[in-house]
Amino acid sequence: MKTVRRLLPSSLAGQIILVVAIALFVAQAVNFAFLYRERERQLLAIASAPAAARIVDAIEGRDRSLDRMERISWSAAAPVIAGRRRPDIEQRAGTMLENAGLEIRSIRAVEQERPHHDRDWREGRGRFMHGFRPPRDALYLSVELASGRWVTVQTRLPRDPPRFLGWLVGQTLVLYVIVLVPLLLVGRRIARPLDDLTRSAEQFATTGAADPVMERGPGDVRRLTTAFNAMRARLLAMLTEKDRMLGAIGHDLRTPLASLRVRAESVEDEGERARMSETILEMSRMLDDILSLARAGRSMEPVQKVDLAALADAVVEDFVELGAKVDMTETARTVASVKPQLMKRALRNLIENAVKYGDRAHVELVGDTREVRIDVKDDGPGMPEDRMADMMEPFTRIEESRSRDTGGAGLGLALVRAIMMEHGGELRLSNRPEGGLCASLVLPVTAVD
Amino acid sequence: MNDKPHVLLVDDERSIREPLAQYLSRNGFRVTAAADAAEARTRLAGSAIDLVVLDIMMPGEDGLSLCRHIRESGDLPVILLTAKSEETDRIIGLEMGADDYVLKPFSPRELVARIKAIFRRVAAGGVRQHADGTNYAFDGWVLKTGERTLVDREGVAVPLSTAEYNLMLAFATRPNQVLNRDQLLDITQGREANAFDRAIDNQISRLRRKIEDDPKNPRFIKTVWGGGYTLAADVRKL
Repeated sequence: MKTVRRLLPSSLAGQIILVVAIALFVAQAVNFAFLYRERERQLLAIASAPAAARIVDAIEGRDRSLDRMERISWSAAAPVIAGRRRPDIEQRAGTMLENAGLEIRSIRAVEQERPHHDRDWREGRGRFMHGFRPPRDALYLSVELASGRWVTVQTRLPRDPPRFLGWLVGQTLVLYVIVLVPLLLVGRRIARPLDDLTRSAEQFATTGAADPVMERGPGDVRRLTTAFNAMRARLLAMLTEKDRMLGAIGHDLRTPLASLRVRAESVEDEGERARMSETILEMSRMLDDILSLARAGRSMEPVQKVDLAALADAVVEDFVELGAKVDMTETARTVASVKPQLMKRALRNLIENAVKYGDRAHVELVGDTREVRIDVKDDGPGMPEDRMADMMEPFTRIEESRSRDTGGAGLGLALVRAIMMEHGGELRLSNRPEGGLCASLVLPVTAVD
Repeated sequence: MNDKPHVLLVDDERSIREPLAQYLSRNGFRVTAAADAAEARTRLAGSAIDLVVLDIMMPGEDGLSLCRHIRESGDLPVILLTAKSEETDRIIGLEMGADDYVLKPFSPRELVARIKAIFRRVAAGGVRQHADGTNYAFDGWVLKTGERTLVDREGVAVPLSTAEYNLMLAFATRPNQVLNRDQLLDITQGREANAFDRAIDNQISRLRRKIEDDPKNPRFIKTVWGGGYTLAADVRKL
């Protein structure tokens, strides 16, 4: 059933054309069935009538010449003739004879094929004799009269009907051309603006920006396009407004934070001072995350070809420089089209998490035919399977209490997921069989060169 | 009349300007504060300033424009104060010629450390590196200072860690010069090497793995006997 569904066209035009083609074929088949039946009746009449007429002639003694050619014979008992019985002809001829006023006790029709050697001979000659037609099969019609005598006549059966099926197929094809070609043109006229719409909507979904769609095609499709363009303009205006607002908020919040940070330096108690600056830093980091997440999908960074192995290595090295327990399996060059600053940010977030919750991070670049992954593995307690999907939502943290001692606003993974979605990839979490969490940045292989 | 370094602090926010000016004064600097670019220009013209600490986001003429003005009229060191945003990474690489930048909210200690590091480099004979938007090309490779990345012959970006980048920049700005470990450490990290410091050697071998076809037999970053490294390539500024 699945294979069937896969074979069916999924496009609008394709489906319409398929349905019309099937309907045309069914109509043609029904039509053909009626024609066929009518033709069969005609053929039967053509086959039966000469034999019935000849029997009438024989009984009325009108055609003696035929006796000599052994086309009519009389007998006291039913003649034995080899061949195939034709009950249809028996019935039809019987009716005809009764209509002609003859009383008959029984009737028997036998079709006899021409012997092969006879045919071959005749056909062989037929090639020389211009216009000679191949022989036809013989029909023997025997009738038992009221007197008990049998009369048998011999006639020729009409030739096999011409290729009726071929005719049906030919006619259907002509109809297809007449009906389906205009339909195809109309279908394309509808499908093309719909294609444009789809492409634009998809582009909007991934990049957060898209060009307006040209309004064309039939009226209702054009109205849809107009509505879509209006929606797009409104969304763009809202997103731009959001960015502007977030920028303003970000700046306005950072200034008092910066001021606080400077003033904190004059606090005498060293422990208090350290705690204050830590809190300020924490707030600032949260602000960054919120702003980044709010801007997700609207990054201005251009996509470029990047060696992912070098990218991961550079991020890992920056952690190593700061003394974090992070290492990486050396990998061969793997080039992909990505936004490098965003990818670095995503990887940094995963490594920070791994170090914070899992003591150390081990980074590995893995690629196969379907995807390229940057795995970040830790030695921590892992994550309950049923909480994994939740953890990628903003403001979710592993401790339900939302305790602040491990830091973070629960935006890290949400941001990573947003970044990966912007790349057409995903963030994948799994518990390692040997313990610890494995968080993977997964890129589709289409991004890889 | 006094030999304290003179720092010009330009920030439109009083809540940052005043406590920061106090902090810098307490830490051995003579501080002049300015609330906007116009005031800063007056101060620059009127007194001998040794270094400028400059906020990027200011109403009226912004910090970048003032920074460019300072760079055009002399070699005065500039440290930028900037809010972290997506723009930051880009802006830092643009033609503004700042010596360094700190992200808000910054630690005043960190700022003082950076100021001192710049003064030390100036005193040591001007081995400063500006991020002035110049890219450096050598033998098919391009070092992009804005994005802190190398681009190889096929146009593929090869990202560098911070330490690798600083090292690469030090070489690219001084091609065919022999630089010893002390110099490299001072240029890249503004600190003195200790006797057992292998950090530079590690970074060198990491950098070689990224840019050399055969890291064991380097073509670009060569080891010089007697303690040093050199970038053996013709570097063009882009």
